[in-house]
This record gives sequence, C-alpha cells and structure tokens, in this order.
Amino acid sequence: MQLRHLLLSALMLPALSWAQPDTIPAADEEDYSQYDDLGFADDKARRYCSQKILDQSPTRFISVLWDAQGPYTMRFSQRGSWAEDADPPTAEEGTATYTGGLRMQANIPVVSRNSIIWQVGANYWDTRYAIRDRSEQPGSAGLMRALADRGLRTMGLNTTLFKPLNETQFLIVQASADLSGDYFLDDPQGLQYLRGSAAVLWGKRPNDRKQWGVGMSRTYRVGAMNYIPVVMYNYTAANRKWGTEILFPARAHYRRTFSARSLLLTGYELEGQSYRIQALSTDDKSFEVRRGELRLRAEYQRQLKGFLWLSVQAGYRHDWSFDADELPEGREFFRGFFGEQPFAMLNQLGGALYGQVGIHLVSP
Amino acid sequence: MRTTLLLLTLLLLPFSTALAQAPPEPGDRLIGVWEPSHGKARVKIEKIGGKYYGKIVWLREPNDPATGAPKVDKNNPDESQRTAPLRGYRLLKDFTYGGNDEWSEGTIYDPENGSTYSCIITMKDANTLDIRGFIGVKALGRTDVWKRLQTK
Repeated sequence: MQLRHLLLSALMLPALSWAQPDTIPAADEEDYSQYDDLGFADDKARRYCSQKILDQSPTRFISVLWDAQGPYTMRFSQRGSWAEDADPPTAEEGTATYTGGLRMQANIPVVSRNSIIWQVGANYWDTRYAIRDRSEQPGSAGLMRALADRGLRTMGLNTTLFKPLNETQFLIVQASADLSGDYFLDDPQGLQYLRGSAAVLWGKRPNDRKQWGVGMSRTYRVGAMNYIPVVMYNYTAANRKWGTEILFPARAHYRRTFSARSLLLTGYELEGQSYRIQALSTDDKSFEVRRGELRLRAEYQRQLKGFLWLSVQAGYRHDWSFDADELPEGREFFRGFFGEQPFAMLNQLGGALYGQVGIHLVSP
Repeated sequence: MRTTLLLLTLLLLPFSTALAQAPPEPGDRLIGVWEPSHGKARVKIEKIGGKYYGKIVWLREPNDPATGAPKVDKNNPDESQRTAPLRGYRLLKDFTYGGNDEWSEGTIYDPENGSTYSCIITMKDANTLDIRGFIGVKALGRTDVWKRLQTK
C-alpha cells in the first residue's frame, strides 16, 4: 500500500511542475525586505528629477478648444501719435456681441528621456468678431471694420527643453515664433512679421510635491514685446487635495484635486500677441494691435475616457491692452513699462464674461 | 531490485525534465529588479507562462502619509481594486520578446493616475531599459529609463 502511494506521488510530481497558471497569480507573499538593500548595477547610473510634481494637471498632447466672449463695448481713437496718458478723440465705437473661435494646439515630445525632454508644438487660434452699432467719425482708421470683416488669427511653432541637472535641479528653455494678424490661411502674411518669444528658467524640485524656479522671458503676453522676470511655483499639499500651478506673471492657479481624474483650477492667465492689420499697413509701416488680455477664470478638467480629457472654463476677460503701434518696416521695438514711444492708437475695450470648452489628448 | 529501479526512475523524472528546460531564452535578460527614473519604486520583472511581468517590490514611501497604512491602488478605475496593496502590484503585463532587444505586446500601469498604456521595452544595455508608454502610436508617448539593481 505504501509502495503504491509512493509510486502515485512520484508520478504526479512532474505533472505538478508542468502546471502553468491560466491567469496571472496574485502577487505572492514574499519577503520584500530583500529589496531594501540594492544599488545600481551600473556604477555610472544617475537619478534625475522629473518634469512634473504629484497631481499636477495633465500635460496635453493635442487640444481642440472653442473660446467665446460675451458682449462688451469697443472705443477706438483716431490714428495719430499719442502718448500713453493722452486723451485722443474717439473715432470708432461699437459693441462686440461675439468674439471667439477655434483654437488648436499640439505638443509632441521629440525626445523624452530621464536626462532630457524636448517637445515641439504648434498652435492655431482664430478670433472672429461680430460688432453691432458701429459708428465711425472723421479720422477713423477703420480698425473696427477690419476686425469685423477679417477677424484675427495667430499660428506658431514652439519648442520646450527640460533639462534636469541632477536629482533636484533643472533648466527649462522655451521659445516660440508666432505669426499674428488679420490674414487668412490661404493668404498668410510674410514671415518678416514673425514675432519671437522665449524664456529661460532654472529651478529646484526638492520633493515630489514641490517645484520652483526663477528666470527671464521675452514675451508678448501683454500685447507688446516685453522682457520680464518669471517665477514658477508648483506645489501639492501633503493631503493631496489642493495645490498651486504658478508661472508668474503669465498665469497663476490654485488647484483643487477631486481625484486622479478630475480637478478644478482657479486663477488667472495673461494672453496676448501683436496682430498686424493688413488694411492699415504699408510696405514701410506695419500697423499692429497690441492685444493683451487678463483672464480671471475657473477651469474644470476631467477625464472623459482613457486619455481623452474635457476642460470647461469660464471667467471674466479684462482688457489689458488693445492699443496699436506703427512699426517701421515691421521692425519690433522695446517700450517696456517705462518707454515713451508714442502709440498710433489708444483703444479701450469693456470687460466681458467668457467661456471656453476643450477636448484634449493627454500625455502618459 | 526492479521495484527500486522503477522508483528511482520515477523520482528522477521531474529533475531531468527541469534540466532539459534549463537553457535561458534571450528574452530572459529582462528578468531582474529595476528602478524607474523617479526612484520611488523598484520593480521585479519575472517570467510567467512564457510572458514577462513586473511587480512593485519596494516603495520609497510604503505607507500613505494621510492614513499611516500601507499604500493601496486608490486611483484604479476599477473600484474593487482600490484596496489592493501597491507593493506586490503587477504594473507591467503580458510582454513577449520579439528579438532585437525589444519586448512588446505589453502594457504599463501608472498608479499615480490609474491609467494603463501600451508599452514597448527596449534594452539599451545589460543594465538599462527604455520603457516607452504610449497612446495608440509610439509618437504619442513618453520614455522612462529604468536601471537594473543588484545586491550591494
């Protein structure tokens, strides 16, 4: 009897060893302490800090958005040569009942490694105007008519380089070139009117919940070209329910995290470009509207399915600048905050409520 | 005597079978313990049923600071999985070796956001892996470099 059992056991042993799991077994109970004391097999291996912090709003690969502003008043001056604090006669008045259009953005990583991340992006923003109760006085430049007839567009290319220096320090270099004006896609304006922006920032990421940095930028976010310092401060609280996403002065947001799939941002963003108006320009003078907007806003973001996210934004658009300059042969100049170069027009826009909705393909 | 011989033969059979299976396959170079770039975890890659899987075996911060309890997979879209411990969790699944130092057909799970991505693993050298998670096409993805770990 014992011999028979022994034989049966011996016969079953190989069958047991050949058995393969149909499904993957649940993680087994093993002594995990054996993994505490390990080191890199390669002596030259280094650790680098990551580009993001915990719970930061997702990076977007591709975005399609619709942006629309509610009614507001428009008052444009005569064309001339005006000091910033002048009070020139009003030449055009009207009420914009609709300002908005399609926005498309793409940001694709060309190189994505621990030691360097290089992204290249493209954007296209279309802004159309519907203006009622338009009135033009003698001396009017016809800017309102140009806006109503042609709208404004901006398209450009941008590139961002994130270079971690070690486990806590990093560099960010960003540059973009934008073509902005009242051109149509089938008749774009010349590349001599490309406007360049750039930023360089050095920062530290002391832990997974905090990242800060300081740097300098050349920007059109307030309409005209300017050189301004930038400060980054991204933070997530220990309870992971809130945080900040700040790149001052371009934007600053308080983030409320509901889950890994939904969040709310409240704060502001500055948006701007220098738009060439074809009908008011000549070969030797580029007439450009320095459009800068301060947008106080709240944006809700949530995952729709997989990597598709929805964003819904609402807020108040404050007119930072809609003044105009004449640039000799299209050459840019620097006025900054204290320059005394005269304006070609001094224009005023009333504030407006606005909304924006977007669909995004987000990055892993 | 015949009975003893029969017994010996039967007892040695499984060992001879195991010996016959012994030569490692080229894809088995993936097996080992690896550290992702963030350094917050260590992942043990093993072979199960002809495919390669990777599970978290070490966490720099094993306990949730809010609760003091071991971290769980709280971001999993499947609610029933949200109490599963992160240590021991399989985040690399179903990889097969296709030659040219590349393992494909698998997925990678990111516990930070509960998303699962298509993934290709490329061995750059014996101690370095490129782990590329992507959405649909490889261009829409991000590469993380993992380093092999060994006992100090």
